[in-house]
Amino acid sequence: MPVTKPSTHPLSDLVINALKLGVVVLDRNGMILAWNDWMIRHSGISRESAIGQDIETIFESGLPNSLKTALNNVRTYKLPVLLSNALHRHPLPLFANLALHPLDRMQQSISITPLVDQIGTAYCLIQVADSSTSIKRERLLKDQSDRFAQAATIDSLTGAYNRRFFDERFKAELGRAQRQQTPFSLMLLDIDYFKLYNDTYGHPAGDRVLIGVVQALKSRINRSADVLARYGGEEFAVILPDCGSQGSFALAQKLCQEIVNLHIPHSASLISNHVTISIGVASLRPGSKCDADYLLQLADKSLYTAKAAGRNQVSSIDNGECTNFNSECQAT
Amino acid sequence: MIDFSTDQLDALAEVFNIGAGRAASSLSEIVDSDVKLSVPRVEFFKSSEINASALNLTSDRIGAVRQHFSGSIEAEVMLLFTEERALNIVREMMGSDASIEELAEYEQEAMCELGNIILNACISAIADILGVTLDTTLPIYSVDSTELILSQIVSDAGQPVMLVLHINMTIEKHDSQGNLAFILSSTSLKELIVHIDRHIQGM
Repeated sequence: MPVTKPSTHPLSDLVINALKLGVVVLDRNGMILAWNDWMIRHSGISRESAIGQDIETIFESGLPNSLKTALNNVRTYKLPVLLSNALHRHPLPLFANLALHPLDRMQQSISITPLVDQIGTAYCLIQVADSSTSIKRERLLKDQSDRFAQAATIDSLTGAYNRRFFDERFKAELGRAQRQQTPFSLMLLDIDYFKLYNDTYGHPAGDRVLIGVVQALKSRINRSADVLARYGGEEFAVILPDCGSQGSFALAQKLCQEIVNLHIPHSASLISNHVTISIGVASLRPGSKCDADYLLQLADKSLYTAKAAGRNQVSSIDNGECTNFNSECQAT
Repeated sequence: MIDFSTDQLDALAEVFNIGAGRAASSLSEIVDSDVKLSVPRVEFFKSSEINASALNLTSDRIGAVRQHFSGSIEAEVMLLFTEERALNIVREMMGSDASIEELAEYEQEAMCELGNIILNACISAIADILGVTLDTTLPIYSVDSTELILSQIVSDAGQPVMLVLHINMTIEKHDSQGNLAFILSSTSLKELIVHIDRHIQGM
């Protein structure tokens, strides 16, 4: 009987074997003194084969260096050590279900604690926790929160951003453009005679038009900072940071053309046989001062001009600078 | 209040740099690349003098890894990083391809391990070089407002002295700064000084 063997108590043995945690006790030379049922279950190594063996050779693959260093540090400095799952994943060849999945190593968190008994004999306690459930749970929570975050910003029908996202982003981007003195444009666009389309073809068909229009618009709005959002029923908004009146006007014309090219029949339209859109653009020159509400009003006014002029076209207002909300701006 | 001589502070910095060297080699092994760790400066504060700017913690939230040490010197030891830096360090340790979001779930445990390595290394260096025996608990990590964490330090009237190590850490060419704060009772501080003086005389 080695002198280092700790005195055992039947109840403490019962408890140690019932733990949902791997428990290994080493003597000061790294010899295994205790190997609980959890360890047997997840390592496939019986207590008889483990007790009295060197921890460094008990596993066929040996111990990873990080664990060897940790054990060594615990022995030398008598301070407890932690091996986190994040930095080590699965240091020991342990398996959640050895019979069914003999290749799936369990995700582990290990803590190693020095123990000293009444007569001054030193031991080393290794605790292995299965972290796969907590990792799975956290991953699930993260997936869910990602989905919620997406649902909170995306319009579920068209896949464009929603109004809420637009409101936040518009203010933030406008503020940034003014601070950094860069140009900025906002587009509002409307599907022409959309109510008549719905009345003629039905709402499901109307929904398909909304989806098709958004796809077509997205194919033309390529810069990552640009934001296409569904502003209302058949009304959309495009935030164009770092884009002046010429650029945004040219883009708006391309967007109009893109929708014409879709050739979606619209027999009820008063201006065409196909689905068309009208676009109002409001642009700010670098250094101009304008608040979000006013720029939005200008874009809306511009859209109204495009509609009044016969629809399927673009109207734009350049440099919506204002300190006075009633100032007149030039429509081009 | 206790005044430290330059010799004493230098001797302490030297002891802690030995600890930092040990921690760096453990960390290098884990991240499989060169980790550098140094303690350029050691300072003493009264608890009442502690605030965010004294510790150069320019962030609303900080992460703290805490261990309690007992033995001939009794101390509450904390490794303090701004929350953002803590996340960056963990990211660098895990490899640059992991995103910050992905890290959130592991952050706590990984920071505990990092803190444990640095704290243990510094403590074992003190124990070795100054010839004292020290015991410790497993680390606890918490992230909270800078104000709250610092107020916990300051409110502990039984531990009126704080020894602050400024730590520079470089992982894969990225530099980070943190602090290691030893919160000591005046008795423990006196004990520490006795041991340092003995060490200086023995040199």
